[in-house]
Amino acid sequence: MVLEFKLPDVGEGVAEGEIRRWFVKIGDQVSENQPLVEVMTDKVTVEIPSPKSGTVLDILAKEGQVVKVGTTIIIIGEKGEHTTLRSQPEPKSIEASSITPPVSAPARAASVLATPATRRLARELGIDIAQVRGTGDDGRVTEEDVRRHSSATTAATTPTASPVKGVEERVPLRGVRRRMAESMAMSLRTTAQFTLIDEVDVSKLVATRETLKPLAEKNGVKITYLPFVIKAVVKALKEYPYLNASLDDAKQEIVLKKDYNIGVAVDTGEGLVVPVIRDADKKSLFDLARNVEDLAQKARSSRLELDDIKGGTFSITSLGALGGLLATPIIHYPEVAILGVHRIDKKPVVRDGQIVVRDIAHISLSFDHRIIDGATAGRFTSRIKEMLEEPNQLIPELV
Amino acid sequence: MVRRVDVVVIGAGPGGYVSAIRLGQLGKKTVLVEKQKLGGVCLNHGCIPSKALISAGRLARKIKDGGEIGLETTGLKIDFTKTQAWKSRVVNRLISGIKLLCERNGVDVVYGEANVEAGKMVKVKNSGATEELQADSIVVATGSRPIELRSFPFDGKLILDSTSVLDLSEVPGRLLVIGGGITGLEIGGMYQDLGAQLTVVELMDQVLPGFDPEVADVVYKSFLKRGAKIYLKADALGFETSTSGVKARLRSADVEVAEEFDKVLVAVGRKPNTSGLGLENIGVELDQRGFIKVDEQMRTTANGIYAIGDVAGPPFLAHKASREGIVAAEVICDLPSAMDNRAMPSAVFTDPEVATVGLTEEEAKRTLGGCVAERFPFQASGRALTQRESNGFVKMVADAQRKRILGVHIVGPDASDLISEAALAIEMGASAEDLALTVHPHPTLPEALMEAAEAIIGAPIHTLKRE
Repeated sequence: MVLEFKLPDVGEGVAEGEIRRWFVKIGDQVSENQPLVEVMTDKVTVEIPSPKSGTVLDILAKEGQVVKVGTTIIIIGEKGEHTTLRSQPEPKSIEASSITPPVSAPARAASVLATPATRRLARELGIDIAQVRGTGDDGRVTEEDVRRHSSATTAATTPTASPVKGVEERVPLRGVRRRMAESMAMSLRTTAQFTLIDEVDVSKLVATRETLKPLAEKNGVKITYLPFVIKAVVKALKEYPYLNASLDDAKQEIVLKKDYNIGVAVDTGEGLVVPVIRDADKKSLFDLARNVEDLAQKARSSRLELDDIKGGTFSITSLGALGGLLATPIIHYPEVAILGVHRIDKKPVVRDGQIVVRDIAHISLSFDHRIIDGATAGRFTSRIKEMLEEPNQLIPELV
Repeated sequence: MVRRVDVVVIGAGPGGYVSAIRLGQLGKKTVLVEKQKLGGVCLNHGCIPSKALISAGRLARKIKDGGEIGLETTGLKIDFTKTQAWKSRVVNRLISGIKLLCERNGVDVVYGEANVEAGKMVKVKNSGATEELQADSIVVATGSRPIELRSFPFDGKLILDSTSVLDLSEVPGRLLVIGGGITGLEIGGMYQDLGAQLTVVELMDQVLPGFDPEVADVVYKSFLKRGAKIYLKADALGFETSTSGVKARLRSADVEVAEEFDKVLVAVGRKPNTSGLGLENIGVELDQRGFIKVDEQMRTTANGIYAIGDVAGPPFLAHKASREGIVAAEVICDLPSAMDNRAMPSAVFTDPEVATVGLTEEEAKRTLGGCVAERFPFQASGRALTQRESNGFVKMVADAQRKRILGVHIVGPDASDLISEAALAIEMGASAEDLALTVHPHPTLPEALMEAAEAIIGAPIHTLKRE
């Protein structure tokens, strides 16, 4: 039996995936559950196993191609079996009879509704027509759509045209980096962001962490500052529910979230991902530490699952030692705020009229001004600062 | 002495010469290398000569069949030598046309066998002399050749390939065609029209394998009606020469028969011409089936080397080769060209003709999960009846929701001419409504396309709505 294996729905609401890597090639023998392909969907990379044993008769999706769920990506059967749905017929069938395939399978561009002239225009302007939103009937991409898309992308990417064509290398925008590009641009396009910055005296936090280190080690966790920050954020969110929210544009309603799922930005080397600490309000400091470590590991080895990255209600990006005094973090849309935590330095500050050396860190918070006004943002920021300065309130349940 | 050029195109078939002309137009110093004749298989041994002979055959049969409409003829004499001479004049005229086009576009034609070496050096050998061409880019357009059966090796006299069968000096009395595909039926049908007793052996369960079965069935029945014998799910096992020709052993439904024939045409497919070019030395990879691997801009795996037409994979169609030739030429000139066609039409010059573009009903159901398909029979076409060619139909396949045209399959008069409107419709993303609302002149055959489109949107005029 020939099986035309379609890209399965790998998670709720996932409509398409990018083929990252094929583990098999045409002619290979595969067994049931053997990984066939690595597919990347909305920041998650999954390995899709073979549903049956057999021979790979054809592979219909190229690496790097974005494929809709339900599209046939591979054909598995027995050696010598035939299927008419193939990229090109095998010679055997030609030899066996006199098949001349009369019909060409519609190619990639065929999935886009556009006239040949419009498709050519897209190529001339260096645009992947599949990325252009069609405004015509039934989503038809018109010449105007292509031109509009072109001027939008040029404006966004090349503010100043370089007069001399220099030596350059072109790296395809794929995978994690592409998702990052899409979601960051989406955030800035959609929201009205402003950033508040404050200085935090974390001397007590540094001391607290030092005290807790041995206990943490005993419990098998490495304690960083991040679990404290998460604790502080969750407490502050409970007091300011509008920060744990999103805006439903279509219904013109603010959605106040009752879950406290905190996204933690992780640098994967290929770009940014934001795995989510679920129900952070119900977790102890050490649990949070464990959770953070676990997700960071998964992110760096591209093993995040869809459940690990969705449902976030607020995000934290800790640039810490990576550098920079301050930043203006970009909100992880559709959330309405993000907290950036920067490195801790020993600095001279004035306390009771005396210059003393303290551990000082900066925090930067970006807010969506469509929902959060400056006063609320200020109060929220102060609240976080307060808790980080007096960390004892953060550690009632330690283990 | 080494000649420096911009591009060398190897093979002057409908892919290669078109590519070379386009390159010339775009200002590239181009050399077109051909080991035989300009025009390749298409012009010399395929499309053109076969169509000339097919026209002659059709006319002969129409003359003989004129009785019903009061055109009695007796003693129609076929002078096949003259027919062949006319065919050659047509071919030669087209060849000189290509020659002129090459000249005027600055394309230099060099005759001989090409061999490609590292560094994009092409050596062309012609009777001892060797010319060396140093190119920036190379387009490989070497085409394909007929597949030979071990049990029926070509000898050019009794066992013929699609080339030699077109150069016979007389019409064979009894012709066996192995392979009921496009070539087998076109040429078999042509000799049948000119008086041969035709037998066709096909391995699959329908003629024209791969085509819509309903379409193939109309062709099958027409051949039978004109007296051909067609064995389906059958095989030709071997032969021995006899006094009058060959005695071939055929097996059909587990029954073996031996029948006498004057000539045998083996038309079981084609294979790519990739050997002897030195491609293996320069990093041009072939796929598992022996075709040169190309991307949608006709680039091979070797930098600066392009491949187009049959050698780059099926379908084996002259117009596909030409389109690819233009794409390769434009890509070489840094223009953003690509093979992104939604549909590739094909035509079969049997009687009735077959032409098809886009998805078949079965393909649409399988890949899209559903579709609508409607037919308009030529029996209901005024023009078809007045041409005495009312056999066949237009079948249109559209997506179930928006009724966008996905495929059109025509069997009937002038199907090869009718299909281009359907190809345009698919390429433009037209819906059945677009076609139905386009006024078609009366009485003409293209009305059948409009009628099929009307049926898709549930408003047919000249057929009864299906309940």
